[in-house]
Amino acid sequence: MAEVKQITFTINDEKLTTPAGTLVIEAAKGKGIEVPSFCYYPGLSLQAACRMCLVEVEKTPKLQTACTLVAVEGMVVKTDTPQVHKARKDMIEFLLSNHPLDCPVCDKGGECELQDMTFRYGLDHSRFNEEKLHYPEEKWSPLVYYDAPRCILCFRCVRVCDEGMDVKALGIGSRGVNSVILPNKPGELACEECGMCIDICPVGALTSGTYRYQTRPWEMKYVPDPCTHCSNGCKTTLGVRNNEILRANNRDHSGVNGEFLCAKGRFGFDFTHNPERVRQPLIRRDGKLEPASWEDALEEIARRLKQVHEKHGGNSIGVIGSNHTTNEENYLLNRFARATLGTNNIDHHRTADYAGLAAILGPKAKDAQATMADVYKANAVLLIGNDVTNQNPLVAWQIRTGVRHHQTRLYAINGQPSKIHRQAAHGVETAKGGEAAAVRWLATGEGQFEQSVSESLGQMKSALEKESDVAILFGADIQGGAIRDLVAFGSRLGGQTRYMALGDYSNSRGAADMGILPDRLPGYASLADKTERERFGKLWGGEIAATPGLTARGMMEAAVAEKLKAMYVVGANPVKTFEVAQPDRLAGLELLVVHDMFLTETAQRADVVLPAASSYEKDGTLTNTAGELQMTHRSIDPQGPRSDFDLLRILSHQLGMLGLGTPIRLRTPEAAFDEIRQNVSGYDVSVASLLAGGAQLTSAACKSPEPNYQAAAGAVFSSHDNLFSSGTLGRYCSRLASTKEAKDTPWSSSPSTQSWWYR
Amino acid sequence: MQLPPALEEKFTQLLGRYPVKRSALIPMMMYAQDQFGFLSDEVLEEIAKRVGLNMLQVTETEAYYSMLRRKPAGRYNIQVCTNVSCMLRGGNELYKHVQKRLGIGNKEVSPSGTFSLEEVECIGACTGAPAMQVNYDFFEELDPDKVDSIFEQLQDGKKPKPVSVISGALHPRNPAEVPVISKRFGIPNSTNIDVYLQNEGYQALEKALKQMTPEQIIDEMKKSNLRGRGGAGFPTGMKWSFVPKDTSKPKYILANGDESEPGTSKDRPLMEMDPHQLIEGILIAGRAIGAEQGYIYIRGEYHYIIDIVERAIGEAYARGYLGKNILGTGFNFELSAHTGAGSYECGEESALMESLEGKRGYPRIKPPFPATVGLYGCPTVINNVETLSTAPAIIRQGGDWYAALGTPKNGGTRLYSISGHINKPGIYELPMGFNLKRMIEDVAGGMKDGKKLKAVIPGGSSCPLLSADEIDVAMDYDSVAKIGSMLGSGGLIIINEETCMVDLARRIMHFYAHESCGWCIPCREGTAWLRKLLDRFHDGGGRAEDIPLIDELSKNMLGRTFCPLGDAAALPTISIVKKWRHEFEDHLRGKCSFKPAEMIVGAS
Repeated sequence: MAEVKQITFTINDEKLTTPAGTLVIEAAKGKGIEVPSFCYYPGLSLQAACRMCLVEVEKTPKLQTACTLVAVEGMVVKTDTPQVHKARKDMIEFLLSNHPLDCPVCDKGGECELQDMTFRYGLDHSRFNEEKLHYPEEKWSPLVYYDAPRCILCFRCVRVCDEGMDVKALGIGSRGVNSVILPNKPGELACEECGMCIDICPVGALTSGTYRYQTRPWEMKYVPDPCTHCSNGCKTTLGVRNNEILRANNRDHSGVNGEFLCAKGRFGFDFTHNPERVRQPLIRRDGKLEPASWEDALEEIARRLKQVHEKHGGNSIGVIGSNHTTNEENYLLNRFARATLGTNNIDHHRTADYAGLAAILGPKAKDAQATMADVYKANAVLLIGNDVTNQNPLVAWQIRTGVRHHQTRLYAINGQPSKIHRQAAHGVETAKGGEAAAVRWLATGEGQFEQSVSESLGQMKSALEKESDVAILFGADIQGGAIRDLVAFGSRLGGQTRYMALGDYSNSRGAADMGILPDRLPGYASLADKTERERFGKLWGGEIAATPGLTARGMMEAAVAEKLKAMYVVGANPVKTFEVAQPDRLAGLELLVVHDMFLTETAQRADVVLPAASSYEKDGTLTNTAGELQMTHRSIDPQGPRSDFDLLRILSHQLGMLGLGTPIRLRTPEAAFDEIRQNVSGYDVSVASLLAGGAQLTSAACKSPEPNYQAAAGAVFSSHDNLFSSGTLGRYCSRLASTKEAKDTPWSSSPSTQSWWYR
Repeated sequence: MQLPPALEEKFTQLLGRYPVKRSALIPMMMYAQDQFGFLSDEVLEEIAKRVGLNMLQVTETEAYYSMLRRKPAGRYNIQVCTNVSCMLRGGNELYKHVQKRLGIGNKEVSPSGTFSLEEVECIGACTGAPAMQVNYDFFEELDPDKVDSIFEQLQDGKKPKPVSVISGALHPRNPAEVPVISKRFGIPNSTNIDVYLQNEGYQALEKALKQMTPEQIIDEMKKSNLRGRGGAGFPTGMKWSFVPKDTSKPKYILANGDESEPGTSKDRPLMEMDPHQLIEGILIAGRAIGAEQGYIYIRGEYHYIIDIVERAIGEAYARGYLGKNILGTGFNFELSAHTGAGSYECGEESALMESLEGKRGYPRIKPPFPATVGLYGCPTVINNVETLSTAPAIIRQGGDWYAALGTPKNGGTRLYSISGHINKPGIYELPMGFNLKRMIEDVAGGMKDGKKLKAVIPGGSSCPLLSADEIDVAMDYDSVAKIGSMLGSGGLIIINEETCMVDLARRIMHFYAHESCGWCIPCREGTAWLRKLLDRFHDGGGRAEDIPLIDELSKNMLGRTFCPLGDAAALPTISIVKKWRHEFEDHLRGKCSFKPAEMIVGAS
């Protein structure tokens, strides 16, 4: 990057050196000087509409808006003069003239920017003696309400919807003092329901259908947790009162997601109180699942597991882990499977080939990972497959923001339409599922395409070859050998090429990193590697076999074929995920244990169901699809269910008493995380930063490159969730389901909203 | 949706005029409304499809413009102006008469669907006040009898004869007048290109193209001391010189014909009687800055003028004054007229560009200025219609000649539309620096009915008012500024002693509140607050503390709004409170000394 010129100017008699082009409002902020504003919002287009940020500039007769004023050499700015104070007071007075003073019942009361500004800069009395304007409140969707009288027309919502989300669902109606915000259908919103407009609203004009009139903001405690839905790891701040999550947002912008949250992060927390939640252990008696005590349930599991183990050996047992439980839980589960039960039949629903990328890159993987920030900062992004708008909303946000802020070039290869392609500098639409073939052509020149495809691929290739510092993102369409092709191509590009595999769920990456794989130990250590087997065997108090086990799909097939005798499923719904034919034949298993929040298709067939806590109800760490690790916290008491961590730990003690395996002595997730940090490749991250609420980049990498790595056929596939679905968990998010869009994802199919595609 | 062939053709034509389809949106809505009477969802959806927008983008644009409507109007939509010039000559009484006669109120439709009524803001018929429009036809110098006769004719299925040109434009020249841009006014068929050619038409263009370099054109403009006639008075030659020479982007010339400043009706005669002069001026500007495309933005109310201008453009194309290789010089220029749809704010140059791009007429952040980032983000010169109409004379006769007609730094002549309580309301072309007192007493024939002068609005209702003892002043930008007002738009409103200044302030504030775009807080809230306050005050509900409050609220807007509309609302109000404070105090004693308190409602 070219050196940015520095300039020096004066603000309130203090000299200040900033890069040329800095806005005075930002420079002042850097100096700790508040210049109040409503319409100014970093990262969105400038408006200079609210006139709150007026400042004095020497030799300029009129007050200037600090939000549009670019600091230049020698400029003298004053933000603290009687004239400026009066201007602020006057603006507040104007704003309050039509603003209803219903603060006592307004959702925003206590965290309202207008309230704060009035407190700080406003008049202590009102001179407005006329009738206020009034309009009735409008319900735009089950999640978004608009109260026009409260609206101060800062147009942040309009801009974030247009510029930030590229949805353009909000506009302005009427004019002058009668101006209002308009949704894109008469009185109704048809959009991604992300709720960004609600969070960005400085006042209580846009309110959340889930939160309105529930509580006062100061009555809640705030717990920052990574979102439990997709793999992007957005931080969502849960507002909790009386052991209930009432709100989720990210107003402090502290996570990898900045201010971004999608509908799932913002509204998809109500599963915690879903009436269908399993809150008590269940044991199958006379063919029916019936409530049981924890003691009975755990004793039952231990006893029967021990029986199966004795009778048929460890390899008769299959273990399926989760892509949304914590790293610590998956780590314990791995130990439980391999060291306690003595089986390598352990896997999970893999939604991206993380292992493949680690294997093919080898030790290089440590420095070749694209973070969420890299996606924003990169000069260019090559996106292959995956409908990021739906499947990886933060990635899509990062791409859009990069394109908007610094003209990131997006190169997209996709076999299906995606809204993100509107941002693309070069887009290649391959045949459905043809992404891997296109990558192969990029790497080797091999392959045949329709002429239009090969022409546009050719153009894309030559454009990419001129780029440097490219972030390459790919979904499940690229796995095994296709990753090898991709890396071969990527390594020929200039600068530093970084990669990100795009998975589906909140800890998809963590599950792979923790070795919930039939052929890998934590940190992608190969089972073939004796040292690694012995290292983990010693740590876990058991012997680990060298032969890889069955894949998840293989286990399900073996189970219905009565080749497996017991299965232990934690936070997964393999019956549904793998579309198991004749699932009732699972009854042939001598034991099926399921940890879950709900009676999923798999749990319904279990012999014992243990009610599990969600990630909002327990402590631990999660790794997002980029490898960024964050802590999750127990925001509420799950009232009945227990964390998978506790369940596995207790069970290990129970089995230990029966002589199977050694009890887990790690009493807390923190202790387990310490063990992970010391023993899992790439996980030795700074705890201080995590404790402070930050994200730390992990870098699980294989010891040496394995260019011939292949993922087992059918083992890696995406669920193609959209903004309103979230695997099995999504079914229990009734607020998401209450939107019209949940029934008809509009930007992909419905002709009625095709015009959204307009740019 | 199947469209009538004429509309279909119009749409095709409109879509071909702009580099960006969205630009056709507002004209398409206007013409569709003319066809169907209003804009139904079906029509808007059809338009949305054709311009490639979604319904929200179309409806939010539609909602901004006061002429566009989503519900049917009557077959005859009666629009009565009650703004200052008309009000001073009985506009309110006329409006009441029409209400009574039709039995309907503001924005209502008669049961038969024959008539609908709207109280409208200034329609640019100030010298023909009081005035109204029936659909797009102008009827001026009205009184209740004349209105009755118009309605009788309409009811009988006859077509009453509207004015052919604005009242007060054609009159015996006062010896003080110096006709430069108005000299073809009154020549029969003056809009015809042949007539124009017989009267020095396109000679300046020929000179500019064949004998002058672009730099020389700009120099000549600079020498002329011509200053922008829209109101701000920025030197035209300098404005043209700001356009970057080395740019790969296209450049544009925009003629601002959105004349909407209350009291101002001087661009209207220029366009309706001498459209070729304007076209020639645009071509000269285009040559000077290297533009090859121009648009004439004309306020929607001037619908018949758009037809006149389009006809003239057609003639100019046919004769090779527009199009490719003009006069064999290799100079290319495309020009079309563009209709507004009812918005004063769109007269602000950057809001006009937004409007021309098919959006809500919000002004833009400046800098950058249009000369570098204008229409479609490209370098643009935007000048008032009068300013551009002056260019041919300057090029033909020289900048020095033109400058000498006026005073130092204030070159040439300008058109004044003089309205209000005056004997000879009309359009007069006078040299810059002409004495205001003489203008009133001599040129415009003195005070109507021999009443005493109380106040003068010197250049449209956004200027601070002058009191009777301040009128011995030279009408040029600098002299008027020196006495605390502005030369403004050339719209002089003469106000007699029998006028209630509180009522006047109230009416002026109604206008600015109606036209505030709503973008920035002080103007949006300030004008609305002041409108309500002044209504209450004038209605007898005033309190002593309201007088300083009116003054302070105005000052709180002044200089702090996004665009000059806030100042435009504040300045006259501040001057009225300052100079006629005693009239406010009279109201506190429960009465208006001039007439019973009455509300003018419905302008919002």
